[in-house]
Amino acid sequence: MDNGFRILEALLRFTGMRQGVLSSNIANADTPGYRAKDIRFENSLDNELTIKKTDPRHLSGNNPGAIPVLSTEEEGEWLDRNNVELDLEIAKMTENSLLYQAGINMLSTKIRMFRNALRR
Amino acid sequence: MDTFNLFKVSASAMAAQRERMNVIASNIANAHSTMSEEGGPYKRRDVIFSTVPLEDNPSELDAVQVEAVVKDERPPRMIYDPQHPDADKDGFVAMPDINVLEEMVNMMTAFRAYEAAVATFNSSKAMFMKTLELGRQ
Repeated sequence: MDNGFRILEALLRFTGMRQGVLSSNIANADTPGYRAKDIRFENSLDNELTIKKTDPRHLSGNNPGAIPVLSTEEEGEWLDRNNVELDLEIAKMTENSLLYQAGINMLSTKIRMFRNALRR
Repeated sequence: MDTFNLFKVSASAMAAQRERMNVIASNIANAHSTMSEEGGPYKRRDVIFSTVPLEDNPSELDAVQVEAVVKDERPPRMIYDPQHPDADKDGFVAMPDINVLEEMVNMMTAFRAYEAAVATFNSSKAMFMKTLELGRQ
């Protein structure tokens, strides 16, 4: 099997997690003292793609082990000691949701390809 | 992805903003109430939000809750109106110091935050529905 499923699975996992983090930011947009969080999943995906085998006897991992990096935004502050920028978070969330849906579309296409191959 | 927890987070935000909206509504409604349960003019109220981490969550989801409804202790406005039944011996009535403009601004903020929570909910729902389509056709 090619790497595609593994990478798509990682993409879906990370975008799913990020959706949660962004939802939390939006929910806490008016909570005093709350700090906006984010997951840098692009980096995690990078790790995913650059797992290199240094020895031919190494197994290629089936289980993506990269840990998403949760970062907290320290800069900026509103009067209520909170630094959530609502518009920015909504934009991030829309982008994230579209990325997830694109991932699902690609996965569906891949499944369809395999199904076609089996049918011939 | 812990889909249902995503919905919980958005729902907690909607509930919290709705409660804030109720408080603002009662502030506006009581802008001229000179009597209250605890005696004296109505005191304007404010909600304080706090973060509650969802139990059993590996991905650090934070819901929100109304921590407390606090009373604003600003002094009342004294209006000269000797005909008023609550007037003191000099003819002054203690009116709640409620600035309707301030309340309206708070209300708009609450409304926008509520809308943002609904947008989050819909976005998560779109993702979930898309997942259900996986492997169809």
